[in-house]
Amino acid sequence: MNDPQKKTDVWQGTLALMILRTLESMGPLHGYGIARRIEQVSGDRLVLNYGTIYPALLKLEQEGSISSQWGISDNNRKAKYYRLTRAGAKQLRKETQEWEQATEILARFLAPREQSS
Amino acid sequence: MKSFRAFFFRLSGWFRKRNREQEMMDEFESHLQMHIADNIRSGMSAEEARRQALLKFGGMESAKESVRDRSRLRGLETAWQDFRYALRTLRRNPGFAVTAIASLALGIGASIAIFTVADNLLLRPLPYPNSSQLVMVWEANQRGTTNQNEVSPANYFDWKTQNTCFSDIAAFLDYHVIFSTGARAEEIDIQSASANLLPMLGVTPIRGRLFTKAEDEASSNGADVAVISYHLWQSWFGGDESAIGRRVQINSRPWTIIGVLPPGFYFHSRTVDAWLPIGLKPAEDFRKTQGRWIWTAARLKPDISLRQAQTQMDTIARRLEDSYPEFNKGWGVNVEPLRDALVGQVKTPLLVLLGAVTLLLGVACANVANLLLTRFNARRREMAVRGALGAARARLVRQLLTESIALGITGGIAGILLARWAVQALLALAPRELTHSVQVFFDLRIVIFALALSLLTGIIFGLAPALVSARSDLNTALHDETRSSTGMGRRLRGWLVAAEVACAVMLLSGAGLLFHTVMKLQVVDPGLNASNVLTFRVTLPNPRYPRVRNRAQFFVRAAQDLAHLPGVTSASAVSYLPLQGEGAATTVAIEGQPPARPGEELIATIRTVLPEYFRTMGIPLRRGRDFTIADDDPDQPYRFIVSESFVRKYLAGREPLGTRINAEMDDKNPFGEIIGVVGDVKEESLDKDPDPTVYYVHAHLAYGGMIFVLRTENDPLSLAVPARKVIQGIDSQQPVADVFTMQKVVRETFARQQFSATLLAGFSFASLLLAAVGIYGVLAYSVAQRTREIGVRVALGAEPSRILRLVVGNGMRLVLIGSLIGLAAAFALSGLLKSMLFGIGPRDPWTFTIAPLVLICVALIAAYVPARRASRLAPMEALRTE
Repeated sequence: MNDPQKKTDVWQGTLALMILRTLESMGPLHGYGIARRIEQVSGDRLVLNYGTIYPALLKLEQEGSISSQWGISDNNRKAKYYRLTRAGAKQLRKETQEWEQATEILARFLAPREQSS
Repeated sequence: MKSFRAFFFRLSGWFRKRNREQEMMDEFESHLQMHIADNIRSGMSAEEARRQALLKFGGMESAKESVRDRSRLRGLETAWQDFRYALRTLRRNPGFAVTAIASLALGIGASIAIFTVADNLLLRPLPYPNSSQLVMVWEANQRGTTNQNEVSPANYFDWKTQNTCFSDIAAFLDYHVIFSTGARAEEIDIQSASANLLPMLGVTPIRGRLFTKAEDEASSNGADVAVISYHLWQSWFGGDESAIGRRVQINSRPWTIIGVLPPGFYFHSRTVDAWLPIGLKPAEDFRKTQGRWIWTAARLKPDISLRQAQTQMDTIARRLEDSYPEFNKGWGVNVEPLRDALVGQVKTPLLVLLGAVTLLLGVACANVANLLLTRFNARRREMAVRGALGAARARLVRQLLTESIALGITGGIAGILLARWAVQALLALAPRELTHSVQVFFDLRIVIFALALSLLTGIIFGLAPALVSARSDLNTALHDETRSSTGMGRRLRGWLVAAEVACAVMLLSGAGLLFHTVMKLQVVDPGLNASNVLTFRVTLPNPRYPRVRNRAQFFVRAAQDLAHLPGVTSASAVSYLPLQGEGAATTVAIEGQPPARPGEELIATIRTVLPEYFRTMGIPLRRGRDFTIADDDPDQPYRFIVSESFVRKYLAGREPLGTRINAEMDDKNPFGEIIGVVGDVKEESLDKDPDPTVYYVHAHLAYGGMIFVLRTENDPLSLAVPARKVIQGIDSQQPVADVFTMQKVVRETFARQQFSATLLAGFSFASLLLAAVGIYGVLAYSVAQRTREIGVRVALGAEPSRILRLVVGNGMRLVLIGSLIGLAAAFALSGLLKSMLFGIGPRDPWTFTIAPLVLICVALIAAYVPARRASRLAPMEALRTE
């Protein structure tokens, strides 16, 4: 079950949270950087079609969680940089909390064997 | 909030579409370049690096599409696309577009025009603050003769002191005066009013002030003050500020103008140009000296309902009956909302017309729905292809709906333009009573209503065809070589035609009944010969003609001079013209008969005439003789002429000539001998029985205002100018007013019926036309569809006449069903017309036979054209179609 080679698709709805979290820890970053970072953090266990990140970015921008600006990348390329807005930071805190709660509940359902023993 | 923000983002994205697209491409490109660079750094060849980057990115096009999707308002964009597409397809089919838009414009235009008038008269609040509190208070004769009788000033004052349901109650009366500034003298309409009337209506003058209670009660003692209308201020004084305080002559007495009312203000009559104090003093004992002659309006207290007010006034009326039995026996009170009092008579015709335009609109909509259905059906294949390419059904329905809404809006705009013009025409055509007391506007409200109406019709008549067309099964539609219409569509079209026919039959029946009424009214004998009679009013101002003798001399001389005009065969004058709705009536007594018990008095209409009146008006003298010049003398004993119905109803077999009667018209009313009996003349309208009438000679009841009547040899109006010269030859300051022909007066009495009949006829003609177009359309289409079937029949030896019968029969089935439904509905609804009909029942069998027959004839013609085409098909040609 715990095969490290087994790759997982991104779950519906979690991509936005990952983007926000990435921007929080890395600061302003372009779409390619975000996608790479997400894959890295997951220990390459997450498969991401990089193209799918852009509609998600646009959605977050439209909702005001992030803002974008053209800039110059490390190796001197023009790239569009995304940054977390204040509203985005708040959103991230809220969603992180919710997510933790949800996983905790699920974990209780799935983990305990001690009660039956 | 979040989604709101996103909406604006998308909205701006829609406008900056090109920019967005470019930006997205740039961003993707920079993404790929960074990825490629990384890949190369990790040791891939340039080509492999690019391939891997693209692979990792996933579907480039679908990524673009989902970004695009997010970045704009899809619905709005496609709606605009659909709309442009709809306009394009309409332009490609001008025949269809013109027919559909014309149908709609007709339906919507007519509805809006009628609605505008109805809205103004029936729905819109009257132009006074809290106008729903305003009521008219009438005296009501409990013998049922009238519940809108004028009020005795004495009763008015008693109501005023005893009621607790009105916050105010005011007296007024409309009449005409001669208004003169010295340079110019004309007869104008005025309203004499108690001082509280204008404040009660909530009007404030734009210049000067209103008259006070003290000025009102002192009136006719010299403190004569007048408030004038904005219209008079502008037309007589050019809006000059110095008009305030100006001295003018009203009926040859000096008055001072003290105020100007705001533009457009009116009460009860829109032609009133001045308000004068009515001058009633509560101290006077009016029951001794005067009859019932004022009107009263009141304002309900805020928490009092009409019913409560009526109940309280009933109590007061009973109390007054007990206190003054000889004056008030049999008299009650009627409290009526002001609006009802103003538009009461025209309410029914307006509601009937509203119903009629709704039917017309229904026909127009059914027609357009039919046209649309035909069109959509012809495009079934187009729809099927689009469906096969992945268009959702909702999307197809929306596109078809957009087309019908585009049609609806275009038709609506055309309809508004039509209505603007039609309202003017309508008002020009309308009977005076329709527009007399309420103003009619065409404003933004109506335009909005019209647009809403056209949008709604667009949706309603477009939805069913769109649903039916989009429903069709893709597979069969695509394979469908014969392009025959779906069963569903055909049935719907059939029903639509039947509905059109039903509406048309209802309209035709209504128009038929009203037309019959107008024809009957035109042949009713009014009791006089109205052709070639000119009438005009001359009102002598009291101060210049203070004595009876002065007035009598003026009228006698004027009548003689007028009679000598070339082209005039005889001339006379009367106090009130018959059939005009004005007049005096009072109780009469017959010598030798015991006085009537209170509440059972004999009532007669009173007219005062000059000699020759009966000959001039063509009223037959049945017995005795006419008044002569010698009778027209105050010193002569009283003599009377009575009408036939007076003899029949009140004399009960007694020899009329020589019988002595009197009438309560004046301070002293001596008995006088009846010297003649004349034919009955209709009083208020042609459809009512004539009232018993007593004629005075002028000298004994010397009105200052009389209406001259001239019998002429040719066109009466050609004598209007010479007649005016005669009057001003006797008194140069004496204006002449209300110049009419007697024929016009008679016609006015059934103007209401004629107006409705004309409009209904117009509507039914339009609906007939539309129904014919509908029938033709359906049959022509079905013939085109069945070309091959018909070809086979002909090839197998069917006679052309058989084919003809087949097609016509098909159409007639629809027409017959529609006619039956229409007849049933018309039969059920015709009762509503009852109060407007005369000489014909609301279920007149002839009308209900002829209306469907007319329609069936028209339908036969409409069906014959396509049927003939079918019967002449050459079989080979027919079989080869498609």
